[in-house]
Amino acid sequence: MIELLTAVFSVTFFVTVIRASTPLVFATMGGLISDLSGALNVALEGMMLIAALTSVIVSAYAPWWVGVLAGVSAGAMLGAVMALFHLRLKADIILVGFGVNILATGGTVFALSLATGGDKGTSINLPSKAIPRVNLPFLEDVPVLNLLHGHSLLSWFAVLTVVAIWYFLYRTPWGLWLRGVGEYPAAPEAAGVNVRQVRTWALVASGALSGLGGAQLAMFNYVGFTRDMTAGRGFIALGAVLLGARHPIGALFAALLFGVFEALSIVMPNLFSWIPGELIQTIPFVVTVLALILLSIRAQRALKARGVAN
Amino acid sequence: MQRVIEARGITRIYPGGTVANDGVSLVVRPGEVHAVVGENGAGKSTLMKILFGIEKPDAGDLLIDGREARFEGPRDAIDRGVGMVFQHFSLVPSFTVYENVVLGSEPRAGARFDRAAAIERVRHLSETFRLKVDPEAQTRTLPVGQQQRVEILKALYRDAKILILDEPTAVLAPQEVDELFTAIRTLTAEGRTVIFIAHKLPEVLEISDRITVMRAGKTVGEVVAAETSEPQLAAMMVGREVALRVDRSTHDGPRAVTVENLTLKADTGVTLAENLSLNVHEGEIVGLVGVEGNGQAELLEAVAGLRAVSSGDIRLKDTSLTALSVLERRHLGLSSIPEDRLAEGLAVESTTAENLVATRLDDPRFAKRGLLNLRAIRAHATALIDRFSIRVGGPEFKVGTLSGGNMQKVVVARELSEQPVVLLVNQPTRGVDLGATQFIWKSITDARDKGAAVLLSSADLSELLALSDRLVVFYHGRIVAAFRNSEALTAETLGSYMLGADRMDDGQMEAALR
Repeated sequence: MIELLTAVFSVTFFVTVIRASTPLVFATMGGLISDLSGALNVALEGMMLIAALTSVIVSAYAPWWVGVLAGVSAGAMLGAVMALFHLRLKADIILVGFGVNILATGGTVFALSLATGGDKGTSINLPSKAIPRVNLPFLEDVPVLNLLHGHSLLSWFAVLTVVAIWYFLYRTPWGLWLRGVGEYPAAPEAAGVNVRQVRTWALVASGALSGLGGAQLAMFNYVGFTRDMTAGRGFIALGAVLLGARHPIGALFAALLFGVFEALSIVMPNLFSWIPGELIQTIPFVVTVLALILLSIRAQRALKARGVAN
Repeated sequence: MQRVIEARGITRIYPGGTVANDGVSLVVRPGEVHAVVGENGAGKSTLMKILFGIEKPDAGDLLIDGREARFEGPRDAIDRGVGMVFQHFSLVPSFTVYENVVLGSEPRAGARFDRAAAIERVRHLSETFRLKVDPEAQTRTLPVGQQQRVEILKALYRDAKILILDEPTAVLAPQEVDELFTAIRTLTAEGRTVIFIAHKLPEVLEISDRITVMRAGKTVGEVVAAETSEPQLAAMMVGREVALRVDRSTHDGPRAVTVENLTLKADTGVTLAENLSLNVHEGEIVGLVGVEGNGQAELLEAVAGLRAVSSGDIRLKDTSLTALSVLERRHLGLSSIPEDRLAEGLAVESTTAENLVATRLDDPRFAKRGLLNLRAIRAHATALIDRFSIRVGGPEFKVGTLSGGNMQKVVVARELSEQPVVLLVNQPTRGVDLGATQFIWKSITDARDKGAAVLLSSADLSELLALSDRLVVFYHGRIVAAFRNSEALTAETLGSYMLGADRMDDGQMEAALR
């Protein structure tokens, strides 16, 4: 137990948490945007996976940042495709989302084997690049501030993104439109807001943000692509949106919470070798389920307290 | 003569051949309240949709301020100063009042939404036009009357000179109607023009300056409000004399329903009704009078089995109902016409036939060994559609496609297709036109004459006075007065008890509570 505590209260653990959380934060923000616009985006998982592979392949032949941009574009394009099917062709958003997920699972393996010349498991033969780490050597020995040392550039960008999304949602007219469209589309429609356009952009933004998450995953957390490497992060992100009460700051903390548990599941196998590793890896998912149950109970209580019958 | 709106020979034929407007003309003068009245299906809504750019006319001219108007959409209409408030509000529930008002045309400071400016402008509009509402309140917490004001403010914020109100009073309680009328008078005093769609004639006569009457897609005529009368308007609307008169019950049966010391509580523990005692006899209608939210609806729910009883008893003849399920109560002969036909009375996505049979799925005529007898269900529906003259394309049409009055007739047909022992009725004619009202009233009194014990609640006092044999007044969950209905009983008398200004003692009530 002592070992675990020492491990948890170390700078290394904090860096691990941030590393594990960053893809989740991006995907969560993507989920938040589309959820607030009224479309539950269950395709975050597939979008991340496709973006991860895209950025790995592109970065093998171009600078790292082109790789990241390629991942973002891949996500955004998937968002646009979903918008086309859902908004123009009136397909059910959940089914379209699962379509993207299934395409991602099979499609990435297929594309991977084409890109690597037959390898269906990893991109180990591709010289893909990594996102630079922001090193602040002058802070390395300062207590507390040394926590800022050694994170991915995208982790810093993630913080910026959350603040920007908050500002967009609650301080700009377009944020008002987006929230109005999600909650009661008839109102913005009557006010002359183009509802379909707002929803399309929300899905595109959602895809772009998941794409960033995918890029971080395959160009920092791991360098290179492994099949199904997103491992349910897209769905955890959906849980984080709800757990964070559909608010960017809340969702950020929810994503960080899941990051902590993922980091734990990385640290714990070394300390508790008698617990099967598979069991430890289920922790983030168990926590998701528990968190959602707790959240739901709390929401019910709050409604009761306000005298609203369900 | 000045004209803000002049419509000439407007014709609109819907795909499928329904002629909604057939050479309609309308002239509205600046600064007046102009009512457009007519039965449901007379073409009022279509005409208004044309004025607001939602529908395009197939023929005819529309002039706004003397200039030709060809609207491609509501946006164009708004640009020409036309605003419309629909019956169903389009407000985002979690937004504040000011956010809803400015949505789509927000004041900006750079890329930022300028909240302070928005609040200020909404407050200013609300004061100028006496539409009292707190700009920073959350919309979902507001009563319907205030939400309607938000809708009016939305139109005014977009600088509407001509305001179309589509049946604005249908959703309002009597006091709210008065407040709306005050606001309408302020609007016209400020130089705005109001077009008022309605079919409650007393209100139309009270608020409007001039009235255009429509029937079957045509304009029947235009009259000055001060020079006409209710019967005259009704005759113009329906095309024949209408008698909204109801014969009192002659039948005097034994006691059917006994409510004894009934107390009802909400889940939160708040008392909704306390110590209610009243009886309903076979063949009589007992009217439950009160401002909405004073316990009448809750009493009806408790009798129907939709609300748990905290203490006290409800008996039908000698059977206590309190422990019985809704279905068991229905088997004893209880029928219920609920308050909200969309939420409680009907499944709008289902067909008329399915809705008509929904309460009888345990009847072997319609379901045997777990299988529906579709032929019998269809025949049943066809018979009821005919008997209750429901205007619908056929039994297989979705209920959601019907007009309000016809939807309500579906509910009434289902509940009265077999003679009930007890009939619970809440707001039977809310948002229903004159012809259908007449029909629904007749259906209720027919059920009464055949011996049903009827409990009736309505926000419309004239409806209660017209139908009830006895009336009890609710205030804060208690019965504060009881009357036998007579010519001498007026809405004003009831009103003073409804608002809690007066209260009878037990001795005074005894005779009328029998």
